[in-house]
This record gives sequence, C-alpha cells and structure tokens, in this order.
Amino acid sequence: MLITCPYCGPRDVSEFAYQGDGNRTRPDPASTDAEAWNAYVYDRLNPAGIHNEIWQHAGGCRAHLAVVRDTLTHDIKSVRFAREHGAPPHGRRTSGAKA
Amino acid sequence: MSPRRTPSGGRIDRLRTIRFTFDGNAYTGHQGDTLTSALLANGVLLFGRSFKYHRPRGVLTAGVDEPNALVTVLRGEVREPNIPATMVEIHDGLTAVSQNRFPSLAYDVSAINQLGGKFISAGFYYKTFMGPVIGPLKGTRFWMLCEKIIRRAAGLGRAGHAPDPSRYERMNAFCDVLVVGSGPAGLAAAHEAAQSGAQVILAELDQSFGGSANWSGETIDGEPAATWASDVVGELKTHDNVRLLKRTTVWGYYDGNTLAAVERVSDHKDTPARGAPRHRHWTIRAKNVVLATGAFERPLVFPGNDRPGVMMASAAMRYANQYGVLPGEKIAVLANNDSAYRAAAALAKAGARIVAIADLRPDVSAACRKVASEASAELLTGHAVIGTEGGKKLSGVKLAPFSAASGVSKGNARDIGADCLIVSGGWSPTIHLASQAGARPVWSDDLQAFLPPETGKGWIGAGAFNGSFSTAEVISEGFSAGRKAAGQPTLETTTLPDVEPAPLDPNPAPVFEIKAKGKAFVDLQHDVTADDVRLAHLEGFVSVEHLKRYTTLGMATDQGKGSNVPGLAIMAEALGKPIPEVGTTRFRPPYAPVSVGALAAERFGDLKPDRLTPMHDWHLENGATMYSAGLWFRPMIYGDPGETIEQAYVREAGATRETAGIVDVSTLGKIAVQGPDAAEFLDRVYSNVFSTLPVGKARYGLMLREDGLVFDDGTTWRLGEHDFLMTTTTANAGKVMQHLEYFLDVVWPDLKVHLTSVTDQWAGAAIGGPKAREILASCVTGTKVDNEALPFMGIVHGEISGAPVMICRLSFSGEMAFEVYSGAGHGTHVWEALIEAGKPFGMVPYGLEALGTMRIEKGHVTGAEIDGRTSARDLHLGWMLSKKKPFIGSAMMDREGLSASGRLELVGLISLDNRPLSGGAHIVEEVDAANPHGSLGHITAACFSPALGKYIALALVSGGKARHGKRAHISDPLRNRFGPVEIVSHHFFDPEGKRMHG
Amino acid sequence: MVEQLSPLEPVFRPGSHGNFVEGVGVTLSEIAPGSIVQLAAWPGEEKKLMATIGSVTGLKLADGAGAGASSERCSAFSFAPGKFLVSDASEGLATAFAGKVTAAIGTITDLSHGRTAIRIGGPKSEWVLAKLFAVDFALAAFPQGSGISTTHHDIFTQIQRSGPDSFDLYVFRSFARSFWKMLCHASDEVGYEVR
Repeated sequence: MLITCPYCGPRDVSEFAYQGDGNRTRPDPASTDAEAWNAYVYDRLNPAGIHNEIWQHAGGCRAHLAVVRDTLTHDIKSVRFAREHGAPPHGRRTSGAKA
Repeated sequence: MSPRRTPSGGRIDRLRTIRFTFDGNAYTGHQGDTLTSALLANGVLLFGRSFKYHRPRGVLTAGVDEPNALVTVLRGEVREPNIPATMVEIHDGLTAVSQNRFPSLAYDVSAINQLGGKFISAGFYYKTFMGPVIGPLKGTRFWMLCEKIIRRAAGLGRAGHAPDPSRYERMNAFCDVLVVGSGPAGLAAAHEAAQSGAQVILAELDQSFGGSANWSGETIDGEPAATWASDVVGELKTHDNVRLLKRTTVWGYYDGNTLAAVERVSDHKDTPARGAPRHRHWTIRAKNVVLATGAFERPLVFPGNDRPGVMMASAAMRYANQYGVLPGEKIAVLANNDSAYRAAAALAKAGARIVAIADLRPDVSAACRKVASEASAELLTGHAVIGTEGGKKLSGVKLAPFSAASGVSKGNARDIGADCLIVSGGWSPTIHLASQAGARPVWSDDLQAFLPPETGKGWIGAGAFNGSFSTAEVISEGFSAGRKAAGQPTLETTTLPDVEPAPLDPNPAPVFEIKAKGKAFVDLQHDVTADDVRLAHLEGFVSVEHLKRYTTLGMATDQGKGSNVPGLAIMAEALGKPIPEVGTTRFRPPYAPVSVGALAAERFGDLKPDRLTPMHDWHLENGATMYSAGLWFRPMIYGDPGETIEQAYVREAGATRETAGIVDVSTLGKIAVQGPDAAEFLDRVYSNVFSTLPVGKARYGLMLREDGLVFDDGTTWRLGEHDFLMTTTTANAGKVMQHLEYFLDVVWPDLKVHLTSVTDQWAGAAIGGPKAREILASCVTGTKVDNEALPFMGIVHGEISGAPVMICRLSFSGEMAFEVYSGAGHGTHVWEALIEAGKPFGMVPYGLEALGTMRIEKGHVTGAEIDGRTSARDLHLGWMLSKKKPFIGSAMMDREGLSASGRLELVGLISLDNRPLSGGAHIVEEVDAANPHGSLGHITAACFSPALGKYIALALVSGGKARHGKRAHISDPLRNRFGPVEIVSHHFFDPEGKRMHG
Repeated sequence: MVEQLSPLEPVFRPGSHGNFVEGVGVTLSEIAPGSIVQLAAWPGEEKKLMATIGSVTGLKLADGAGAGASSERCSAFSFAPGKFLVSDASEGLATAFAGKVTAAIGTITDLSHGRTAIRIGGPKSEWVLAKLFAVDFALAAFPQGSGISTTHHDIFTQIQRSGPDSFDLYVFRSFARSFWKMLCHASDEVGYEVR
C-alpha cells in the first residue's frame, strides 16, 4: 500500500503509523461529560468501506495526515495534513517534480 | 528405450560441458540445460516419490508448474528442499538429491502405501489424527506415536539445520511500466513502452528472455522466433530507461500497484560473485503493469496418469526444441485440443516416432489430420488412454474408444507400446497475479478455462494470459498493451507480424477426466485422485474452498497450477452444476515459493540495529557487561573478576551510597519543546504545572493517557522562556514523542510549539553520592556547584576539561546527585574527566543493576510499575495531579473503577527468610503450594539492598498502605519459591530525602 | 575547543572493500560538519525563514517540498513542512542564527552532536541506497540539492542529493555505527572505498 503524503509524495505504508479513527472529536478539556469522554476515548468506527483515519508519516516528515480510505479495497480517496483543513501550502512533491 | 539428447538442435551450448551429481551419481549436461533436461538427456526418468503413496514419479512439465520432479539442492551443509528440477539450472558442482524415498529412489519401502491406497483417501489426516473415540486406545498417547510415523512417511523434502551462509538482499524499484513475462507478448509490450521513454522493468522468471519464442519453432517475419526475441531484447538493452530482470519471479501483487519479485542472482553459479546475493528481493512500485504471464497447459485425469514417461505435450516440445532432448523415442499422444499436434510434429522432426495420437474428440480438423499424417502417426479420434503400463517407467498405454459426451470409454481396449505419453488437456491462462490484484476471473466456454477480466485497475493483460494463442495476435496485443501502459495513444492501424506456421485451435473439448479403473490423479504433488474429490463431495463438501482444504487439492508447493481447473471440473460434475457456478478459488501470494532468506534479506542475526551511547566503547573497555534495553545497549554491571552479578551491583550501589558513583544516562529520551506556547503545551500534557517553572530549573513531571492511567514520567528542564528540554524514560521515548506530536497536529494545531528529538544530541552522566558535589567542584569550570549556585533541581552551565556542559541537580538514586549533559561528541571526553576527578574519592562507575537497586530502595517507579494498568494514586503520585487545570487524562482519571478500593497499590516487601525475591511472584495471605490461589498482587522489581542488608522488592498489592507492617507470603510456583515477607512502605531508604537535599 | 569523537571511529576502515576488482561502485565518507542545525518556521513564516537561511549561509532556496541547495561550505534542505536542516563546515551555526530567527519566525535546534552525516558518492549510489530505502533515487524524482525524510527500518534518515551521483545522509548519532555497517554491507556487491 502506498500513501501519498501531501509533503513527501507517495511513500510505502511501512513509513506510516496508524494513529486511529479520525472521526473522534475531543470534548472540551474542562468538560465533565463522562459519556462524551467515554465516546472519545473508547468508541471507534469500524466501517466496511470509506473511513476517516489519522496516520502519521512517522518515517518521513512526521506530520499527521487525515486519510480517507476504503477499508474494503485499500483505495485511498484523499490525504491532507491533519492540522489543516484547506489545501497544503507547501505543494505536493510528485515524482519527477523540480524542487 | 529411453529419453536421449538429439544429435543437434536446441538452444544449449553443446561446446560447454557441465558436470553435476544427482543422488550421488555423476552426470554431464550443457550450458543452458535445466536439471530435468540434462537428466532426461542422460536417460533418467525417475525423479522422485509421491507425497502420500510413494509412487514413482517422473517429470511432467518444463517449468514452474512442475508438480512431480521436486529435488533438494545441497550447497555444502545447507539443504534447499522442494525445488522443481525444471527450474534448476545446472552448473559445475551442482549437487541435487531426490526426495521422499527410503532407502533409495528406486527401492522405496513406503511404496507399500500404494497397496493401502484406499485408506489414505481424502481427509485422511483429519480423520486419522482425531484418534480413536472409543475402545482401549481412546485418549492414550499411542495415537501421537502413530502421527509421528505417518508424518515421516508423508511429505516432501526435508529442511536442513545448517545455517545458511548465503547473502540475501532487498531492493526497491520504481517504474512507469512493469512487464511481467518476456514471451512475445511481454517483449512487444516492453518494446513499445520503452520507445515512449517510460521507465520500464521487464521481469522474466526463466534463465533467458523470450518465453515460448525459445521453443515454439515458429518463424516471425521470416526469422526464427528465438532470433526475433533476442533482437528485441538486444534493442531493449540499448535503452537507459529499461531494466531487464531475468531469473526473476514476480510473486505478489499488492495494493497500490506494489509488486514483489525475487531474482535468483547466484543459484546458477558455482560460486557467487563477491558480495553478490544468492537471491535479491525486489519491491517494485509500478504506475502500470502489463501482465504477459502466458498460460499453463492442463493435464488430463486418467488412470496411471502419473507414470514416469507421461508428460505435458508443450513440455515435450520445449525439451526437444529448446534443450535438444527427446523425452522418449516411441511417443503416444493424448489430446482434447489441437495444440498437442504441434508438439507431435516437433518431436517427430527431432527424431522420435509418434506411435499413436488418441484424440478425445470424435473428429478433428483437416489441419490436425495433416500434421498427424506428416508425423506418420496413427490418428485415433474418439479414443482415450484408459491406463498406462510399466513400473518405474512407461512401457505402453491402453487405448479404448471414448465418448466425450459421457466421459467413459466403451469397447475393446488396445495396448500400444510407448516410452512416452504426451498429454494436452487444454490451457489455463496464468491469471494468478491478476487474481491477487482482486480481479474476478471469467469462465470461457471456448477455452474451458478462467480468463482475466478485460482489464484491471493498474494492469493490462496481453497474450496467452488473455486467452490469445496466435503468436501474431499475441504480439499485436503486446504492442498495444505496452503503449497503453506507457500512456501513449492507441495506434489506429496495426499490421500483424507474419508468423509461420499458422496457429492451431487451442480450444478443447470439455473433457477433464477419463473414467476408468485405477488411480487417476488430479493433484500429482499432493496425491489427490478424482475419487478423493468425489468422496469429499459424498461427505458433504460443497464449497470449492472447503473441498480444497479437505482434500488438500492445489495446496502443495505448485499451488495447483495444473490441477485447479480439472479438480473444479470434477467437483462441478459431482454437484451437477456448471463449472462457473462452482466458482474458483482466489489466488494468493506467492505465485511460486519464495526463499525465507529473500524475505528477511539484510534483517538477519540480531534483526535490529544497535543503538549505542556516546560512551559505549568506554564501557566495553572498562569491563562492563552490556545488555540490551530496547534497541539500546547499556552497562548492566562493571564486574570485577570472579564477581557474581549480585556481588557486583551490591558493591557498586554500596560504593555510591558510601562515596560516589557515576552512571551513563544518555539513553533517556530527550525532546526539545520550543516555542511561545511551550509552557502552555506542557501544562496540558503533564498532570502537574510547568508554566510556573522558572528558567534554569527542572521539575519532575507525570503524564497520563487519555484514559486516566499513568503513561510516563521524567524531568523537564526550562532552558529558556520558550525553550524546554523534556526527558522521558528510555523505553517510552518514541511513544511519548508520537503522543505529543499527535496532540499538536490533530488536537491543538493552534499552539506554536515545535518538538524535536534531541536524545542523540546529548551525552548524559549522572554522578551521585555523598562525595558527588566535591568531585564535580574539582573538575567543573565556569560555574559554582554549591547549594546556592546549584540548588536542588537547579541547572547551571559550565565546562569540564574544555567541553561545554549543562548540569542539573536531580536524583534518581536518592543521593546528592547531578546529571551532567554534554554534546554527544564530547561525551566520552567529559565522562573520562569525571572518572579521573572521581578517582581520589573512590567513585565507581555503576550499571543498570545498581541503578535499579538504588531506585527500589527509594521506591521510585519505572516501567515495571507504570505498566499501563496503574493510576497515579496507585503509585502514590496523586499529589502530582493538578486541580488547577485540565490535562490529558484529567477527565477520565476519577472514574469509579480507577478510584475503587482494593486496587493494586505500590508497596515495599522485605524478605523474611533472607532469600531473594523475584519479579512476577505473587503475594498471598496463606501459602498453598499445591494449589496456588488468592493472589493479592505481584512483585514488580526485586533486589538485594546493600543499604538495608536485606532482600527487598517493590510490589503492587491490593489494599496497599493498609497492609503496611503486615506479614504475607510470596507464592511463585514457577520457580518453586514460597516464603514469608513483610509488607512495608515503598520508601525503604531515607524516606525524608535528607541525603539528596543535603 | 574539544573535537567531536566520531561514533564511526572503531568501524571506519579507510581503503577499498568488497567487490572492487573492476573499480569501486561507491565511495563512503563521514562529512563531520562543524554544525548541524534544525530550523523550523511557524505556519506562514516559511519565506522569512528561508530568507534568513539565505542571508546566513548564502544558499538560495527555492520554494516547494524538499527544496534545498548546497555549497562548498554549507548545505540546507527542507525535510518537513516549514522545517529545514542546515549544516556548515564550521562550528557555531546555531549562534549565527540566534537573534535572526526570532520567536515570531520559528525555532532553532542545535543538532551538531545529535546527527551523523555520511556521504555516499559514485555511479552505484542510487543502486546501493535503493537497497535500504523505499524511495525513488532517480535524478528526475530526486533532483540535485533537494532533501527528503525517510526510514530504513528503525533508522530515521534525512537525505540530500549533493551531486548527480552523491547523497548526504543524516542519521541519529546513536544509530550511526549500525547504519554505517549496513551501508558497507550493502555496498559490498559493487565495491566501495572508505575515505
């Protein structure tokens, strides 16, 4: 499997670390809503199909990536930096691109 | 009569003679021979004994699909079993032996299994190894003994025990177009892709490029096909953008168009080139793949179809045309399609007599009749072979009239003398890689075979892979596949090359089995017969996947390359369903066996890289016994001659508490936390507050996980307003880094904080003991180290022997102690200066054992106690949980379960029988050695305490503090250690901390 | 100043090794720059940081992922969004950037002791590196001056292409000796010279 890191370009999956379900939202830090915290810490979606996932390019630029992946086919629909919601500012590195 | 070398012909180098041995006998062959072609040329027909019945077996094919002729290749003491002899290239000194026979191939005692054949039927092992369920042998060990004997009798080659000295390597490659297979289709595709300028890799599993062009006997545009092929290869070699890989089996097709291949670099050589691997594993990431993997000719299922001398028609043709070897002199033919006629013609031309052609079809084409008459062969249409004669080699075949519609023979049988029977049961395209890539095969009624879907995601098929068998069409398909794969527009018009002779029709009559009396094998390698398949059906196996597992059909090392479709056809008939409704199994990697060495490649021996501290060599030179801590190597003890480990650490810890000791702490994880929001960030990730920490001071910090349990601990030093140096435990350094990065990236992207691993930037030496400050004062310049300049948890900068150092006064040992950090490149220099300065005071270097002892005496926790199940309160660290701010874990740490009574809490234990305690031993109220029970908790760490003069331990015990002063017992049945202990506070030594505050 | 001790010292054997009969395929050497510094910009401040790198090192950095450049004395390349690795033959590079890379622009992390720089050069450089890393080293995919971050199993590595057939590899110091041994092992086949 290859994941196209928005910074580093396509890299082997062995360079990436799975960092969990990307659908979770962390409650407000001061929240005492036990159910919300329980959902955040323990509940995970496990869909057969399209899934939002967080991966870290641990063996590369170390950025966390929001990856949309089809768990049935391993098709990767999209990858973006987890910290950003817009397009990556630095441009994608593609094979053959000039630096 | 026997097989022999033809006087001329073939693509072998007859001037180069090669000497090799098989089963201890010396033979010769020529450059270009495989083990099978060379042995056939020497008249050898018997290659091995079969899996279950020990029947004599010859060679069936000329390629990777060989089920019978498996051999063990010996290289010195190293055995490599189960190699198809068809894939072994001979070289001087090659030593091969046959398998599954005792005492010899010709006289095999287990051949008696043939007589008891009825009992070793489908599911034999499943039925047998359950053992008797009633009777006197029920539940005895007798059956396990039987299992041993049966397992020895069944099976293939034997693996060796000698370590393999060969080298294996891994290689990564990237390309625009990967072409798998270098027959006419693959060569055409590679040629077109290369022309476009694309990066091309062409992989061929054989020793030479060209595939069928090497043995088809065709001419392409007026020149021999083999010449056409070598011309194309010659041109490809001139392209910088083409990488040609022969002897390379593409064995796996994975997600993202990642393909795995293994190149046999040195197997065909007497001695590999210096530094060259035996096998090189390729991981190829291809934008597009052209699958030009060809097709396998299918055997037919009939009684005696495993007799040595029975061979696939295309294989016989290949032996004649490529290797100049006749597999027999009187050859009979059995076919259900036209392609065998081409083989018959080739063999006749090479000098064999074609004694008869039995065609299962009631009638054949004029083209076939013409070939038969040119070969002077008697043509018997509507006939089948219903049996074979001979012992270890074929002497004749039984022919009888046959009805293709009913599958049974009728009328009188006729015996015909023959030393070779060539068979063609149709063709199965080699769709394995496409199937691995997820393609669903499509049944073709014409070809009576599964075809790949038209095209897949990431790959394009060409040639016989697609079910095309006319070489002209195959080349044209290759051209367009190559263009398409390279992203070039398709050509409007194409001229087909001129190929002679005209193609014969490969479409077979839908016959897979000739039903007659006798064992008829479907899977030759696993000895699965047609009756086994039917028995499996009778016993209720209706799914093809279950059938496969129950009968083991297609599960041998050849993975059913020849047997899958016939097996499926017989199953379909038994079920009364058409074949496509029964379905096919999905092919899995590997396409052909792969050496484990190639997969491991450079990861051998210790598997992981060593991580060394800057002072590593000093430790070795000064008598340290090292042990590994994760990837790191750390001194365990610096033992004196004759000392035990315990004596050494007791001496080191004792000396440290008496005067001073020094320990290498460079392995501690160190993370630079920098930026205007660094303090805020630390407040969020640590349970205690860091924003109040002044510059130039350090603080002990505790991290929880989101679920409220303890994650890690360490000190963090404030080096500047926006600049912190966080230390973590050695073991958790990577995990903590990842945890922090996750929160910065995913949860708090608004925080301006940068994290950098600086573990390797710093060498750390911790010096502790009553004399530590004096020692330091004697060698540090540029700063004072007295209580005023360097209070507890203070940080100063100075120099030691000219190298800049940063000193923090903190203590793990409980002594007055300092951590001296220097640049890693100066680590040994500073360490040696400290050692020198310590000499007049009697300072000793100490290892992890002494470090562990002193921390147990102080009751400090490490990974043994922070085991992912303990809360901060369990470890008596509740005081570190800030109430002023939320932090990671604060929301979950007060859950009922985490504050319930009876949780395991940290306590100390003192051995009351003066015997050692061990980690993992349980604590009980009453000893019951025969029936250990009633655990109150367990020991996490134990040592002999020189400070107390006793064996002590830290433990996690239910009730914790409430049990202080009470007696209990340890129960350690694994080490047969039971004995009384006293439960005490985990602060064994200097609980007020007077020594470190000094 | 006290000289840095190389972590490669006991395994660094100058001379020709492996299958060098028909010439060496690669040359391996330790660069041992005086300074290695990591510079990281806050989002939006990348341009300012690149300008500062230019003013201190004289290297002109293009925009884009992995962009880098090198001179006789200095080298710089981007290895992660907004992050650069800069080296200088002399010591004191971190000090040179102090005050110029302000808290508003980003951070400076001195790694002069923490990373070991190894150069592999020669016609077989790409071949040898392809054994260790799942990265396309072809010039078209990995242009001169540019850099990447990648991993060989547990060994995190930052690589800059320093010439048409030469690459500079920055590995964690503690792993350097193991990595060097692996690099030599991988170079055996093509013959290598250590210098």
